[in-house]
Amino acid sequence: MPPKRKAGAAGETAAVATTSASTKRSRPATPAVDVDSSDEYSDDEEIENTEEGRAISKAVNAFSLELATKSNVVAKRDSVSHIFNKQDFSYLEMKSDHESRPLWINPESGVIVLESFSPLAGQAQDFLTTIAEPLSRPTYLHEYKLTPHSLYAAVSVGLDPNDIISVMDRLSKIPVPPKIVDFIKKCTSSYGKVKLVLKENRYFVESSDPTMLQRLLQDPVIGPLRVQGEGGSGITKEKAPQMGALVIPGTRNAAGAANVNNPQGGRPVEVAGDAGEDLFNSVTGLGEDEEGEDEEDEDAVHSFEIPAGDVETVQKQCLDLGYPVLEEYDFRNDRKNANLDMDLKPQAQIRSYQEKSLSKMFGNGRAKSGIIVLPCGAGKTLVGITAACTIKKSVVVLATSSMSVVQWRQEFIKWTNINPDSIAIFTSENKEKFRGDAGIIVSTYSMVTNSRNRSHDSQKMMDFLQSREWGLLILDEVHVVPAQIFRKVVHSIATHSKLGLTATLLREDDKITDLNFLIGPKLYEANWMELAEQGHIAKVQCAEVWCPMTPEFYSEYLREPDARKKVLHYIMNPRKFQATQFLIDYHEKRGDKIIVFSDNVYALKAYALKLKKAFIYGDTPQQERLRILENFQLNDQVNTIFLSKIGDTSLDLPEATCLIQISSHYGSRRQEAQRLGRILRAKRRNDEGFNAFFYSLVSKDTAEMYYSSKRQAFLVDQGYAFKVITHLQGIERLPGLAYSTIAERKELLAEVMLQNSEAGQQEGDDFDGAKLSYNAGRKGARYRRTTGKLSELAGGDDMAYIEYNRSRNKELKGKGQSSAFFKKMHRENEKRRKEQNSLKQ
Amino acid sequence: MSGNIRGLPPVTFRRLYQQPATALAIFRRMLPNLAKTFVTTLLYNESPVALGDLEALVRPESYREREDAFGKLRRLHIITENHLDVSLDPVFKKNFRLAGDHHSFGVPCNTEDKKKITVQFLDDYATRQFEAILHYMVGTHNEVKPSEGVITLLTKGGLMERYGAGSQATITKHGFSFLLQDGNPQIWALLIQYLEMAEELGMEQTDVLHFLLMLGSLELGQAYSVNTLTETQKLMLADLRDYGIVYQRKTSSDRFYPTRLATTLTSESGGLRSASASMSNAITKDAEEGKGFIILETNYRVYAYTDSPLQIAVLNLFVKLSTRYPNLVSGRISRRSIQEAIKMGITADQVIDYLSAHAHPQMRKSLVTLPPTVVDQIRLWQIEGERMKTTTGFLFKDFHSTQEFEEVAKYAEELGVLKWKKPSRRCMFVTRHEQIADWLKRRASAQQQLQKKVAA
Repeated sequence: MPPKRKAGAAGETAAVATTSASTKRSRPATPAVDVDSSDEYSDDEEIENTEEGRAISKAVNAFSLELATKSNVVAKRDSVSHIFNKQDFSYLEMKSDHESRPLWINPESGVIVLESFSPLAGQAQDFLTTIAEPLSRPTYLHEYKLTPHSLYAAVSVGLDPNDIISVMDRLSKIPVPPKIVDFIKKCTSSYGKVKLVLKENRYFVESSDPTMLQRLLQDPVIGPLRVQGEGGSGITKEKAPQMGALVIPGTRNAAGAANVNNPQGGRPVEVAGDAGEDLFNSVTGLGEDEEGEDEEDEDAVHSFEIPAGDVETVQKQCLDLGYPVLEEYDFRNDRKNANLDMDLKPQAQIRSYQEKSLSKMFGNGRAKSGIIVLPCGAGKTLVGITAACTIKKSVVVLATSSMSVVQWRQEFIKWTNINPDSIAIFTSENKEKFRGDAGIIVSTYSMVTNSRNRSHDSQKMMDFLQSREWGLLILDEVHVVPAQIFRKVVHSIATHSKLGLTATLLREDDKITDLNFLIGPKLYEANWMELAEQGHIAKVQCAEVWCPMTPEFYSEYLREPDARKKVLHYIMNPRKFQATQFLIDYHEKRGDKIIVFSDNVYALKAYALKLKKAFIYGDTPQQERLRILENFQLNDQVNTIFLSKIGDTSLDLPEATCLIQISSHYGSRRQEAQRLGRILRAKRRNDEGFNAFFYSLVSKDTAEMYYSSKRQAFLVDQGYAFKVITHLQGIERLPGLAYSTIAERKELLAEVMLQNSEAGQQEGDDFDGAKLSYNAGRKGARYRRTTGKLSELAGGDDMAYIEYNRSRNKELKGKGQSSAFFKKMHRENEKRRKEQNSLKQ
Repeated sequence: MSGNIRGLPPVTFRRLYQQPATALAIFRRMLPNLAKTFVTTLLYNESPVALGDLEALVRPESYREREDAFGKLRRLHIITENHLDVSLDPVFKKNFRLAGDHHSFGVPCNTEDKKKITVQFLDDYATRQFEAILHYMVGTHNEVKPSEGVITLLTKGGLMERYGAGSQATITKHGFSFLLQDGNPQIWALLIQYLEMAEELGMEQTDVLHFLLMLGSLELGQAYSVNTLTETQKLMLADLRDYGIVYQRKTSSDRFYPTRLATTLTSESGGLRSASASMSNAITKDAEEGKGFIILETNYRVYAYTDSPLQIAVLNLFVKLSTRYPNLVSGRISRRSIQEAIKMGITADQVIDYLSAHAHPQMRKSLVTLPPTVVDQIRLWQIEGERMKTTTGFLFKDFHSTQEFEEVAKYAEELGVLKWKKPSRRCMFVTRHEQIADWLKRRASAQQQLQKKVAA
C-alpha cells in the first residue's frame, strides 16, 4: 500500500536525517503534517518489504546500536520482543516517580503518548500542541508526534530548544532519549535564523548572522536569485527591529487596556502578556526577560534582496538546507503602510481557545505567518477578524466562494466598528475599491488567480491588489485549495503576514505539505472533543448505517466492468434509498433540520426528486441557491435539503442538526470532517441533552465499506465514535416506503444501468483548474449516447405520464414571489378544475 | 470441577468423604452459601431435622435459592432424606467434624529444611512453571519449555494438537478460549484434564481427587511430608511440580511445598483472578487494583499497562501491537487482527470478555467499560465471516418424470423439510428423508397395484 510506505518513511526519514549529520542533503522531511495514524487503517502493513523500508530500518538500526553502546544499555530481548521488531523499548529505564508523570516518548519515531487522566495532562497538552503534531486524541491516551515542522512552529512562537527539552524531561516517565534531544536540537538550532521580510514591496532575506547569509548566497539555487542592489556585496546591514509586548483585542486584558487608553485616542498601549501566555510560560518555564535579552543582543540585521517571483524557490531551498524561513511582520513599527481604524466591538469576547491560538500568532509582539486549525463552527472567522484588528493594516481576505465572501463581510461589520465603506468585495458581480488609505478587500481564490478572460474592471482591481502592500492576508479554508493556486495568490499579493484558517489540515494528495512553506507553520490545533465538552461546538452522535445490497443490484455491481458505473450501483442501492427515506422521516418528526449530502449528482437528483425535497448542486443558479437556503432556515415546511459537494465547506447553516451522507468522495478524511462541521455549529447545541446526528450510509460488501473506514480515520482519532447500525428499527413499517417491491427495484436498476459512466462520477471540484466559476457545466454531461427502445423516449414504458418527480426546487421558487394577479389566476384555475371534476362525477 | 464430581456414582462419594480434607474442600468450593448454612445447622444435630424446619430458615421469596441449595446437597449426596426428615450423610458428617486436625490436611514437616524456602521463592517458581505452559501454548519461545508430561496433557485435553509424531504442537480453538480465561479456572481446567488422564493411566481416581482437594487446604510456605502420601499421590507430585502447583527440590526429597496456585485452589475468591502472569501483581498489590491494565479507545487503539511477556503474547493474539515501552504496550485492533484471531478459533465474545475483564480502572469509571462502538464492530467483524449457513440433509435426484419430481417437491414442502429445489435438473435438497422415502415407497406400491389392476 503505497501511502503507508510513504508516510512511515517520511516520519522515519526525519528521524534518521537528524542523526546522520554526515549525509549531505539531510532533508527535514517535507512537512509530514499527518504522519500518520490514518494510514494504519489500511490493512496492509508491510513497510519492511520495500527497498526504502529496508534502507531506513537499516539506518535506524545502525543508529540504535550506536545508542545502545553509548549509553551502555543492552536491550532486554525476551520472548515477545520479536512482535515489536524495532519498536521494543522495554530496555528504557523508568523514572522512580513515573506514575505522576504523564508522558512516554518513543525514541525512534518521536511519537509521544500522553495519559490524559494524569493531573498534569492539561499543561502537558498545551505544551504538546505547541511542539508536536497531534495524531489522536480520544478519551484516555493521546498521541502526538515530534516532526521537524512542529518543532519549527514551536521555535517560531518563541520556544527555546533547551526549554522544550527540560519541560519534556519534567513531564516524561522516562528520561528524554538522547536521540530525541539530538533531534530537537538539530531541528531547532537552524530554525528562526533566517527571516523573510517584505519592505516597500520588495522581499529581503534577513538574518542576524552574516555568515548565514553568505552560506545561502553560496548555494547554487539561491545565489543566482539575489537581486544586485546598489551595494557591491548585495548584503545590507541595518538596525534590528525592537520589540515590545502587545495586546490582542477581545481578550480580558485588552478590555482593561482599552478602557484606560482609548480616551487618549491612541491604540491600546501594550500590556505585557495575557492569561494564555502566562499559563504557557509557567509550563515551559520560559521567561519574558530571556527573550528580551536575546533580542537586545542582535542589534543589527543583515539582508539581501530576492525577486518576488522566486520567493517560494528560496523558501523551499532554505527548507531543504535545514534553515526554514521565518516570516514575521513587525506591524507596530511599520510606518509606511497606513493604519486602519478598526477595533472589535466591546461585546465581542473571544473564547479561551481562540485567544490561545492568537497568542501563538502574536507571541512576541510581531505577527507570524501560519495556520490556525479550529473545528468547523468554532469561530474561525472571529479569529481572523481579531487578527486583523490586532494588526490594523490593510487586509485581504480570500474565501472559497462568493457566498462566503458575503458572509465574511457581514461578520466584519458585525464584530468590529469598521466603517462599512472601508470593506470592499471583489467578486464577479462586485468590483469596488475601499475608500481611504487602508481597508479590507474580501475576494475569492478564483477571482485572484483566474488570469484568463478577465474583464477590464477586474483587471483594474487586480492591479490595485498587486500594487499595494498588505498587512495581512487571511486565507479561509486553506485545505481546499491546491498549492498551485496558493502559489499564484502568494506571488501576486504582496503581504506582510499570512494567516491560514482551516478545520482539517488534511488532503489525500500530498498538496497540503506545501502549505508549510507557502503560508507558515501550524500555529495551533484545537481539540475537538474538548470544545464539544465545553459546549463551543455541538456534540454529535455518529453512525454508519450498513445497507445490504439487494440481490439484483449486487449481481449487476459485480458484473459491471466500468469502475465508475460500479459506483452508481452502490449509491443507487434501493436499500440505501429506503434507509435515507426512513431517517429523513424519523428526524423530520423529531423536529430536526436535515442536510443530505451526495457527491454524485445523478444520485442527488434521483433521491431528491423521488423524495420531493429541494436540492442544490453545482449547476443550481445563485439566486435559486439563496432562496432554497433561506427556506431551509426559515420555513418550517422545508426541513430537508439535498446538497452536493458544493455544500461541504463554508456553508453556514446553524439550523441543521442532522446530516445524512449517501455518497462521498472515496476515502477523503477531510470531506468527512468538513461535512461533520456543517452540524457542529448547531444553534441548539447548548440545550440540555442536545445531540446532533451524523449518518453515513454505506452499501454493504461494496468498495464503500473500505472507503468508509478510511474516511472516518480523522474523526475517530479526534475521539468521535461511529456506531454501526445494521438494521433500522421499524423501517419495514414506514408507510410509502420506496422500492419495496421487486418490480420497482428492477425498474430502478434498469434506469441505473442506462446511465453512462459519466453519471457515476462526482461533481467536478470547484477548484480543479478550469472550472472555477459557479456555473461551469460538467463536461460531457449534456449529451450522452444510450441504448434503449424508442418507446422509452416517448414514455411508452410507463403506464401513464404523471409528474411524480417534480423538483421541489421549482415549488420553492414561487413562494412569496408571484404577484397578486397570478395568485388570483391560479385560484380561479383551481376553482374551475374542481368544478369540472365535480361535474364529471 | 463440580460437574466432574457431580457425575460420580454415590459409592465414590462415600469414598471421597472418607477424607476430611475432601469433605471440607467440597464444602468450601462447591456449595452455595445457603447450602453451607444447612450443613452447619445439621452438623452437630445427632437426630434428623424436619425439612420444614430447614425451609423455615429461608424467606419464602428466596425459594429458588433454597431449592438450588437442596438440589446441590442431594446431588453431592451430602444429605440423606427419610420422609420429611433430613440428616447429613454419616460418612460426610464424621469426616467433616474431623476436618481440623486430621492428617488428610497433610503432615507438616517439623524438621528445618536445609535450604530455607521463602514464599517469594515459591511464588516465583509457580509463576515460572505455569507461565511456561501458557507461553508454550501461545507459541512464544520461552527459555523454560514445559515437560513432555505437560505437553501430553495439553494435547490429550484438546488444547493443543500435534500433526504427526515429533512435530511441533499447535494450539486449538479450545486452547485459545483456555488462554483467555482467568488464572484459577485455567488451573482447574488443567487439573480436571489430569484427573481424566489419571484414570487412563490406572491411577486411583479418588486418591487423585483427595490429593487435589487437600492441596487447597494446605498452608503456603509450609513444608509437608511426602511419606504419608499414597503411591498414586507420590506419582502425582512429579506432575504437579511441572504445573507449578507444588515445589519439591528433588524427586527423592521427602518434603514438598504447596505454592500459591495450590493453596488458592479451593478458596472462594478464586485467588488469582488475572492470568497468572499478573500474579506478582496480585501478590504485591491489592488484587482489585492490579486487575485491570487494558485501555481500549474509540479509535480502536489498545494500550496495555504491562511488562509481562505472557500478557503481551496473549494480546498479540488479537491486537496488532506496534510499540512497547517499559510498562506500556500499544497497538490497535483492526479488522484484520480480529479476523486472524477468529481464524485461529477465538470468538469475538472471548475477545470482548477478555478486554472488559482486564479493563483499566480508568475505563471502569465510565458507565460502559468498553466503547460500545468498538465492541459492536468486533462482533460485526466476526459476523462478516459467518454468512454461510450449513444445513445437513439429503439430495434427491434422478426422478423419472417432471410430474414425479413436482409431486415429491410438493410433499416435501408440505412437510417443511424442503430446503432447495431445481426443477430444470430435477433435484432437490431436504433436511429429513425418512418420511419422503416412506411416501415414495407407498406411492410406488400403490402404483404397482394400480398397474396390476389395469393389467388384470
